[in-house]
Amino acid sequence: MTDYVLELKGVTKIFPGVKALNQVYFNLKKGEVHALMGENGAGKSTFIKVITGVHKAEEGTILLDGAEVDFKGPKDAQAAGIAAVYQHPTSYPDLSVTENIFMGHEMIKRGIIQWKRMNQEADKLLKELNADFKCSDEMGNLSVAQQQMVEIAKALSTQARIIILDEPTAALTRNESEELYRIVDKLKASKVSVIFISHRFEDMYRLADRVTVFRDSKYIGTYQTDEITNSDLIRAMVGREIKDLFPKTEIRRGPEVLRIEQLSRTGYFKNISFKLHQGEILGLTGLVGAGRTEVVESICGITKPDSGNIYLEGRRLLIKKPADAMKEGIVLLPEDRQKEGLILSWGLGRNVTLPGLKKYSRRGVINEKMEDETAKGLLEEVDTKAVSIFDPASSLSGGNQQKVVVAKALSQEMKVVIMDEPTKGVDVGAKAEIYQIMGDLAKKGYGILLISSEMPEILGMSDRILVMCNGKLSGELSREEATSESILQYAMEKSEKDTERSLH
Amino acid sequence: MAGKSGRSISAQSEQNWKKRILSWEGVLVLLFLMVNLFCMVISPSYKPVNVLREMPKYLTEVFLLLPMAYILILGEIDLSVGATVCLSATTACLAGNAGVPFPIVLLIGILTGTACGLFNGIAVTLFTELPSMIVTLATMIIFRGVAEIALGSGGSVSLKNNQGFRALAGKIGPVPYIFFVVIIAAVIFTFMLSKTTFGRKLYAIGSNRKASYFSGIHVQKIRLLVYSVAGMMAGISAMFLVSVLYGANTTTGSGFELDAIAMAVFGGISTAGGKGKLIGAIISAFIIICLRIGLGQINMNPQVILVILGTLLILAVMIPEIGKNVKRKQL
Amino acid sequence: MEKNSLIKRITGSREASLLLVLIGLCIIIQILSPSFLTAKSLQDMVKNNAVIMIMALGMLCVLLIGGIDISITSTLAVSGMAVGMLLKYNVIHNTFLLFLIAILIGAVCGATIGLVVSRGKVLPIIATMGFMYIYRGFAYLIAKSQWASAENLGDFKNFALEKELGIGLLNNVIVIVLLCYIIFFAVMKWSRMGRKIYAVGSNPEAAAISGINTMKIKLIVYTVMGMLSGLCGALSVAVYSSAQPNMLYGKEMDVIAACVIGGVSMSGGRGTVAGALLGSLILAVIAKALPLVGIDSIVQNTVKGVIILAVIILNVVAQRMMQKKNLKRREM
Repeated sequence: MTDYVLELKGVTKIFPGVKALNQVYFNLKKGEVHALMGENGAGKSTFIKVITGVHKAEEGTILLDGAEVDFKGPKDAQAAGIAAVYQHPTSYPDLSVTENIFMGHEMIKRGIIQWKRMNQEADKLLKELNADFKCSDEMGNLSVAQQQMVEIAKALSTQARIIILDEPTAALTRNESEELYRIVDKLKASKVSVIFISHRFEDMYRLADRVTVFRDSKYIGTYQTDEITNSDLIRAMVGREIKDLFPKTEIRRGPEVLRIEQLSRTGYFKNISFKLHQGEILGLTGLVGAGRTEVVESICGITKPDSGNIYLEGRRLLIKKPADAMKEGIVLLPEDRQKEGLILSWGLGRNVTLPGLKKYSRRGVINEKMEDETAKGLLEEVDTKAVSIFDPASSLSGGNQQKVVVAKALSQEMKVVIMDEPTKGVDVGAKAEIYQIMGDLAKKGYGILLISSEMPEILGMSDRILVMCNGKLSGELSREEATSESILQYAMEKSEKDTERSLH
Repeated sequence: MAGKSGRSISAQSEQNWKKRILSWEGVLVLLFLMVNLFCMVISPSYKPVNVLREMPKYLTEVFLLLPMAYILILGEIDLSVGATVCLSATTACLAGNAGVPFPIVLLIGILTGTACGLFNGIAVTLFTELPSMIVTLATMIIFRGVAEIALGSGGSVSLKNNQGFRALAGKIGPVPYIFFVVIIAAVIFTFMLSKTTFGRKLYAIGSNRKASYFSGIHVQKIRLLVYSVAGMMAGISAMFLVSVLYGANTTTGSGFELDAIAMAVFGGISTAGGKGKLIGAIISAFIIICLRIGLGQINMNPQVILVILGTLLILAVMIPEIGKNVKRKQL
Repeated sequence: MEKNSLIKRITGSREASLLLVLIGLCIIIQILSPSFLTAKSLQDMVKNNAVIMIMALGMLCVLLIGGIDISITSTLAVSGMAVGMLLKYNVIHNTFLLFLIAILIGAVCGATIGLVVSRGKVLPIIATMGFMYIYRGFAYLIAKSQWASAENLGDFKNFALEKELGIGLLNNVIVIVLLCYIIFFAVMKWSRMGRKIYAVGSNPEAAAISGINTMKIKLIVYTVMGMLSGLCGALSVAVYSSAQPNMLYGKEMDVIAACVIGGVSMSGGRGTVAGALLGSLILAVIAKALPLVGIDSIVQNTVKGVIILAVIILNVVAQRMMQKKNLKRREM
C-alpha cells in the first residue's frame, strides 16, 4: 500500500503559549537515511519527542507502515521498533557495556539473568558495529563516540526498525565521525531506517538520501540531497531577512585590549591566538564541541590552560582563577546561565551584586541599602521585566534571566565582555533587546567577544569572525567577506570536499 | 542607556512583622517558651539558678553547632568534630598533667582542634571530588584513634592539677563563664553570616558552587577556612568540657557531631545547603538543652529523651515537604 | 592473549586487587605469627565479625542507590534486646522463632526509614540520624534498665557454638554469613531487582525514564537493610551471649568503612557483593592481625581510618590519571 515505514501528516504540538510544531509533514522509507535540519528552536527536538512518544501531538496523524498509531508513552514507541540515540548518551556510567545494552530488557530464563547469552549477543552487536572495545568494559571509561556506539547497539538489541540519531557527530572528532558514518551505512544496508539530526552539512551530504527542513516550527520542504545545493539549503533553513534583528551600528575600532597568544589545553584546543580591540564585537563560532567554550573558560581562569599567554592592554596577565580575570576586568557571561550564571533560588538583586560585594561593604560588612539601590539601578538599566529585586531568579523567562546576568556583569569594572551563547533559549523579542545592549556596550568602548553557533547572530553582530574547528582556529573573516557558506566551510575544515559536492 | 522603557523595579523588601512571626524562627521562639513553661510545670526545681548550674555540660555542644551550621550551609557535613573534641581534650589533659602551664595547655588544646580541622579542610579542597561525608568519616575514626593511642591502655586520663580548668568552670554570680563565651561566639557567628560578605559567599557556595566560582568567589579558600574554624571551635568546646569533666576518655565527645547536626537541622538549616539562619539553630539548641535539663530533673530516662529528640528532628525536616505536597494538591 | 587478559583483569578489577591485598596481608601475618592461618582461628575471626559482614551487604545496597544508613546498629539493638527480653522472661524459647521475630522487627524499622526517605524526601543521613536516636531509645525502653546475661539466654546462646546448620562441619553463624552472601550475590547478579538497584544508583533520571519505580526500590532497599540488622541483632545476642541496649554502639561506621574499603562508592551506582566481602574481611584480618604481630590493638582504629582515607584518595588519583589519559588520546 505504501512504501513509507513512518509518515507524519499535519502534526501540531502546542506548549503553553507556543506552537512548537505547526502542521508538520514527514515521511521515511525503509532503509533510508533521512536528515532533519533547521536552526536551534526550529522544532526538531519536539518532533523527535513526538515520534518517540514522549510528547503527544494535538493534531495530525502518525502512520507506521501505513497504519495509524497512537503512542501513549515512550514504551509504546519502543515496542513499535522506534529507538532514539541522544546527543548526550543517557547511559549508566558505572555499569558495563553489556549491562547498558540490555538495561530494561534483560534476557531472563526462569527469573535468572542469562549473562552468558547477553554477553554473546552484546559481542555480536559490537562486532557488527566494528567496535574497538569489549562488552565487559565500563561505560564511564568509554569516549563519547564509543558510548554512542553502545546506544546504537542498545537500539539494535531492541530490534528497532527506525533509529533516530540526535546530533550524533556534535561531540565527535573527525575520525570518530568517520566511524559513525560507517555504522550508519551499515544500518542502511540492513534495511534499518535512520532519521539523522545534524547541524553539519557534511554529515547530511555524506549520509542522507533526503533532507527535510524545518524553520520556526513549520515544515519548509523535503529535498533529494543530490539535487539541493548548499546555499539553497541554508536559505531554506534561515529564510527570514535577518538585517532588522540586528541593530548594528558603526563603531570606530579602538586600540587593542585583549591579546591571546598560542593558548593550548590538552584534549580541548591548541595554539589559539587572536586580538580583540576596544569597541569591537569579535564573533567566535564553530560547531558545538569545537572548543569555543573551553577557550574562553581558560581565558577567564575557570580551567587552566597548559600553555600560552594572555595580554590585557599589552600587559601579560597571570590568571589562575575567575577572581583574577574579574579583577583585571575580563567578565564572562557563561553559556549555561542557570547552572553557571545565576543562583536561581536567590533574588535578582543579590545575584547582580554577588561578584562585586566588596563595593557595597565596609570592612566586610555589607551595606544592604546601597546594595539594593545599585541592583535596582542596574536591573532597570538593562530593562529587566520583574516586579521586585527580591523576585527569585528562577521565576524569570530565559531572556530576562540573561538580562540579569548582563546586569551582574555591569556591576563590575570591566574592559572585556565575553558572551557565551547569550541568546540560547531566548525568544526573538528579548533577543533583539540583548543585541541592543551588546551594541551599547561596544559603543561604550568595551571589547566584546561573542560566542555563538547561531549563524544569523554571528553574521549580524560581529565586526570580525573567528571560526574554530576541532580545537583549532581554522579561519578569520571580516564582516564584509563573511557569509554562512564561508563560515561553514571553515567550521568543517576546508580540506573536505564539500565545496565540490555542493556544486554538483 | 538604550532600551529604557521607564519600567521600575521595586527595591522594597517585603519583610514585615507578620511574616517574621510566621517564619520558622518565630515558631522556634514560641516552642522555646512552651518548652520552658512545660519544664516549669513538670519539675519544681526548674528554676533559672538550677538551669544555669546544669547548663555548662550541654553548652559545649553549641560551640560545635555554630561552625557546623556554616558547613551545612556550604552543602557539606563534618562528622569528625566529636572526635576532634576527644583528641583536643586528651592532648590538653596530658599536657596539663605533664606540668605545662595552664595558658599553654589551653593553647595546645585549641591548636590540636584547629590542626584537625585544617587537615579536613586540606583533604576536601585538595580532592574536591570526594564528598565531605566520607572524608570526615575517615578522619573521625583517625582522630579518635589517635586519642586512643595517646590515652594508652587505660583509655582515660584525669587531671592531677586542675586549678586552671577549675577557674574556667567559674561563674559570675549564678552565670557560668561558658554561658558568656557561648553568647559572644553566637553573636559573632550570626553577625558574620548575616551581615558580611563572608556570610553572603557561604550562602552562594551552598546554593550553587559552580555559579559562585564563576562569580569570582574563592570557593576552596572559604571551604578550607570553615573547616579549620570548625576544628578550632571543637578545641574550645573541648577545653570547657574538660573543665566540667576534669579529664578525658576514649568516648569523650562521642555523638557530639550528630547532636550539632540535629540542632542545626531542627533550627531550619537545610543539609542540602544554601538555606537557613543561625538564629534558628541557636534557639533550637536552647530548646533542646532546656528540654534535656527539665526532663533530666524529673529523672526521665535519658533514652526516652533521645526518642523525643529523634522524632522532633525527623518531623522538623518532613513538615516543609508535606506542606509543599499539600500546596501542590490544592493547586 | 588469554594470559594477557587475565593479568589485565587482575590489575583492572578492584575486587581482584583487593583480593591480592588480602592474600598479601594474610601471608605477611602468617610469616610473623604461624598461629594465624588455622581453621579455628579463621572460624573465630568470621564468627566475631559476622555481624559486620552481614550488615555490609545491606549497606552495599543502600550505598548503591546513593543513600546511607547510620541507624543500623540501633535497629540491631532493638531486635537484639527484644530477643533477650523474650528469653529472659521465658516467653519464647524456640531459636528459629526468635530469629524470625528479630528479622520482622528489623523489617518494620527499616521500612519506616524507607518511607521517610522515599515519600518524605528526607535526606538519608538526616533521616537515619533521627532513627538512630529513636531506635536506640527503643532498645533502652525494651530493656527497662535490665540486660540479658548468659544464664538468661539458655539454649539460644548455644546457637553460636553448634554446627547443626553446617552439617557438623561449620559453625552455625558462619553458615548464616555464607547463606546471606550467596543469596545477595545471586540477587545482585542474576535478578532484575539487582539490575534495578544498580540502575537507580548509577543514573536515577535515566532509571525513572526507563520505567523503574525509584521510590519502591528505595523502600525495598531500606527494608532489606532493616531485616539484615534485625537478623544481626539476634545473631549478636547469640555470639556475645548477652543482650544490652548499647550493643554495637558506633559500629555502623565499621560497616560503612568495610563497604568503602571494598570499593563501594558513596555517591551510588558502584560496588559489588565481592567488594563488600573483601572489604569486611580486610578489616577483620587487620583487627585480628595487629595483636598477633605485636602491635598494640589500641592502634587499630587509627590504622582503619588511615586505610579508608588512603583508599578513597587513591581512587580519586587513579580517576584523575585515567581522565588525563583519555584527553591525551583525544588529542589530534
